[in-house]
Amino acid sequence: MLTETGLMELVRSGRRDEAITLLLPAFRRKVFGLSYSFLRDREAAEDVTQEVFIKVWRALPGFDARASLSTWIYTIARNASLSALRARRPQSSLSDPEVTQAVEGIDPVPSADVLAERSAILRLVDQLPEKQRQVVMLFYMEEQSHEEVATMLAMPVGTVKTLLHRARARLSAAAGNMGATA
Amino acid sequence: MSTPNSELDKHLQALFGGLDTRADFEARLMARLRAESQTAATERAVRTREQERARYRRAVSELQTWRRSMLRMLTLDTLGIALLLVAAIVTAWPHVSQDVMDISRQYAPYIAMSLGILIAAVPLLAMWAEQTRRPVRLL
Repeated sequence: MLTETGLMELVRSGRRDEAITLLLPAFRRKVFGLSYSFLRDREAAEDVTQEVFIKVWRALPGFDARASLSTWIYTIARNASLSALRARRPQSSLSDPEVTQAVEGIDPVPSADVLAERSAILRLVDQLPEKQRQVVMLFYMEEQSHEEVATMLAMPVGTVKTLLHRARARLSAAAGNMGATA
Repeated sequence: MSTPNSELDKHLQALFGGLDTRADFEARLMARLRAESQTAATERAVRTREQERARYRRAVSELQTWRRSMLRMLTLDTLGIALLLVAAIVTAWPHVSQDVMDISRQYAPYIAMSLGILIAAVPLLAMWAEQTRRPVRLL
């Protein structure tokens, strides 16, 4: 079990690489998900995730535990993602073939109907307002924890719940409409 | 297409639940960290060397100042000693025996010349020592 005290002990004894090795399993996916929710580009999100861990590695000796470790790492990740986003315009889309392929690869045996439905839902998620889209992605990526998503996006839990509720209502309605017009 | 909420949850879970980095992510990161670590060590070494050079230059500069002041002191001391010597001779002159006085009179020009050379030589020697001193080698 990774504790902040244990981690800082490692850093103080000059074992920063070891500290990062311990941080990676706990935060790799979360940081990647957070970057991905901003950038909507797998390659860019992975690059940003690498940058985030390098920044964390550099800054670890100065970590003063005023904020929790996760809050600190998510702040670095959000800032890095926003910088990458500013540096790279126009945005890609969640429904880009590469992204679709990546998410489709998660489920090894989806039927053609299921794939089509998921593609449609992905397009709908892509059309959501930015904050709603981020909340949806992170909520379903992060084992449906409102608290974790709130920490990742630096939002109150109530805001996350509201955004998620609105997003799901929108998605349901849009999916219903698509079904009616099909 | 009609998607009830549980169905929607299932799809969203399937779409985003498994999102992850590529398999070689950690290996690439650790390689970058190792490179970063080496760069940081090199930068630290260069910084330490620069600091050591600056410290050495400061020490040498302080030493040179001290040496110059010591040489000035030495020149003044020599002059003072020479004057004291003259004063002592003048004071002792009437009490010295006739033989010594005769010898002294005989060698007076040489003694005066030697004294003059001694007084003049100290600052010259000091200047010479300062100029021919081996240049200070910095690290």
